[in-house]
Amino acid sequence: MIKKKAIGVVAAAAVLALSACSGGNSGGSSGGDSAKGEINYWLWDANQLPAYQQCATDFSKANPDITVKITQTGWDDYWSKLTNGMASGTAPDVFTDHLSKYPDFIKTKQLVALDDALAQDKVDLSQYNEGLADLWVGQDGKRYGLPKDWDTIALFYNQKMAADAGITPEQMGSLTWNAQDGGTYEKAIARLTVDKNGKRGDEAGFDKNNVAVYGLGLPGSDAENAGQTQWSYLSATTGWTTTDKNPWGTHFNYDDKKVQDTIAWWASLTEKGYMPKLETTVGANAADNFGAGKAAINSNGSWMIGQYTGYKGIDVGIAPTPKGPEGKRASMFNGLADSVWAGTKKKDAAIKWVEYLGSAACQDVVASKAVVFPAITTSSEKAADAFKAKNVDVSAFTQHVKDKTTFMLPITDNAAKVSGIMKPAMDAVVSGKSPASSLTAANEQVNALFK
Amino acid sequence: MTTFTSRTSAGRRRPFSRPFSWRRAIALTLLGLAIAVSILPFYWVLRTALSTNGSLAANSANLLPADFNLGAFKRVFGLQSASEAIAEGGSGASINFWQYLWNSLLFSGITTACAVFFSSMAAYAFSRLRWKGRDAVFSLFLATMLVPPIFTALPNFLLIKNLGLLNSMLGLVLPYLFMTPFAIFFMRQFFLNMSREVEEAAMLDGAKHWRIFFQIIMPNAAAPIATLALLTFMGQWNEYFWPLLVGTSEESRVLTVGLGVFKSQSPQGAPDWSGLMAATLVSATPVLILFAIFGKRIVNSIGFNGTK
Repeated sequence: MIKKKAIGVVAAAAVLALSACSGGNSGGSSGGDSAKGEINYWLWDANQLPAYQQCATDFSKANPDITVKITQTGWDDYWSKLTNGMASGTAPDVFTDHLSKYPDFIKTKQLVALDDALAQDKVDLSQYNEGLADLWVGQDGKRYGLPKDWDTIALFYNQKMAADAGITPEQMGSLTWNAQDGGTYEKAIARLTVDKNGKRGDEAGFDKNNVAVYGLGLPGSDAENAGQTQWSYLSATTGWTTTDKNPWGTHFNYDDKKVQDTIAWWASLTEKGYMPKLETTVGANAADNFGAGKAAINSNGSWMIGQYTGYKGIDVGIAPTPKGPEGKRASMFNGLADSVWAGTKKKDAAIKWVEYLGSAACQDVVASKAVVFPAITTSSEKAADAFKAKNVDVSAFTQHVKDKTTFMLPITDNAAKVSGIMKPAMDAVVSGKSPASSLTAANEQVNALFK
Repeated sequence: MTTFTSRTSAGRRRPFSRPFSWRRAIALTLLGLAIAVSILPFYWVLRTALSTNGSLAANSANLLPADFNLGAFKRVFGLQSASEAIAEGGSGASINFWQYLWNSLLFSGITTACAVFFSSMAAYAFSRLRWKGRDAVFSLFLATMLVPPIFTALPNFLLIKNLGLLNSMLGLVLPYLFMTPFAIFFMRQFFLNMSREVEEAAMLDGAKHWRIFFQIIMPNAAAPIATLALLTFMGQWNEYFWPLLVGTSEESRVLTVGLGVFKSQSPQGAPDWSGLMAATLVSATPVLILFAIFGKRIVNSIGFNGTK
């Protein structure tokens, strides 16, 4: 009864009632119209659309009262469309959520806490890869998403170029790195860099101003995602962490010498001619440059496997990220989840769909399409097999999980403001306009946000 | 233009039989270059659309399509399933092409029809009627042309939002519906040149302003009206920012916005270039056809204005 009333309020004044709804309306399943009808589901990755369409069909078969309408929107537009929808009361019932965005949604009370429903339906949270489920517990201790997949970082490299440079796959698989001389990682990058005259980066007479093939591709300074694909796999091997604690850290550590040395080394690759200048990469696509044979190595996430293996005429190898000074590798571990919008009128059906998305039934379907690694441990093993069937060896990505060398994407409040400060600061360092020590000033600005 | 006609009419129409002249050779070369430079982008769009995505990057310097394939066009028209598209190196993203095309036609059509009609009426008032402060009001009107559209975007957006018209065709067309300073200026210039005698004769016959406007002014202004309509339509067809702000639902999203969204799929992922180019090409076609049909009219009407 109380619940029905709450829903009525939402219907009458969706925008005003958003906050009231998530508090008083977190009951379990069952009950009236809320468990029937069509629910809207949004995602951004078109490559995963066929898999989720299959899930939706299976789900409707098992729950004839509920149909799922899936809408795919490109990443750039997705978030503005979503926040617009929340403000105007037209957001989807369920949507693919991102760790860097969901703290803001909790703050504005746009998400439904799933705890009671999950408890009632006895959803086993231990079926997911370790740590993934905990990422979606907010500062208030409530759960706002059910994990759907995970990703780690590895090195995509051009096998022919490596062979021409005399670098074996074994060598690519056992690179080491440190911030002082770059280790064998820098040696490999230098060796793979070729100038217009055919001289390699480690040979005398190398012309750093006329480079034909860069050893390492650069898709930007990657400050928005704390260096997820570009430098976090290096900085983390020094023992550095982005924030004082994770999730919900309130103090950033960009003033630490460890990260500044890492970034300084990374930026020096550009200076040495091993990596393209930042200004030449704006508006270009790093993956396409790799596909065009203009870069030999690209560090990137597992969600890009399809993209990199899709280039015709390029023999792609996947190597694990280099080991750092402490003798271990590191990779940022990120995972997506599905969340229920607080303004939904079909809350029970929406939760049911989220539970299905988080179940082995759906995640096995996703696994079979070999696009991403599902969150459920057994399903992600199936995905690895599916990749293998496509002749793609993904062990460089799964190794991080097996060896427990992952660390979580930093989850904090003020994410948008933090990246607004860090991006220009990092851009200036990578383009050589400021020294790495200038990050200290940016760090102070960032920390001031939390006071 | 006049020199051209005088030459041809003088009967010297055998250019190649004439002795070689450097001036002529340079002129022809420049002309050829200019044509090549303006055609090449269109060719490149077509070439990319006919390529297979996975082969594009490796063949970026090749003038011919890389791995010739019509899949991109099939994707645009929704004739290809997502899994087929992915297998071909597409993104699996669908673009709701026919819906967006219809929306674009509606958006451009409605705004063009209304803006031309109402602007003509305003221009009539500014040119044929005599009233106090007419020229001052007109100057003020003209001055608003100096205000960049970006300044009015936010107030307009808030107004449309408060009216509850977000994500609707009405909200989309409303700001363009009644008049634009340029259109009024354009029509006024034309109306000013019309002879007053015809109008006065009509008045003596008892015609009122409505009748004069509809039966004398408008039919005589067919050429400039066509020009203005075509220019407005093309401008509206290419409009991006306002439709992006207001029309985000499938029912109100126009082609330009649809293409922009289609471009970005996953962060750092490369766009489905061939699909994007195929869709761009198809979406540019209506305007190209319109221009091919009415292009001559534009030249004529402007010529009419110029020579009086």
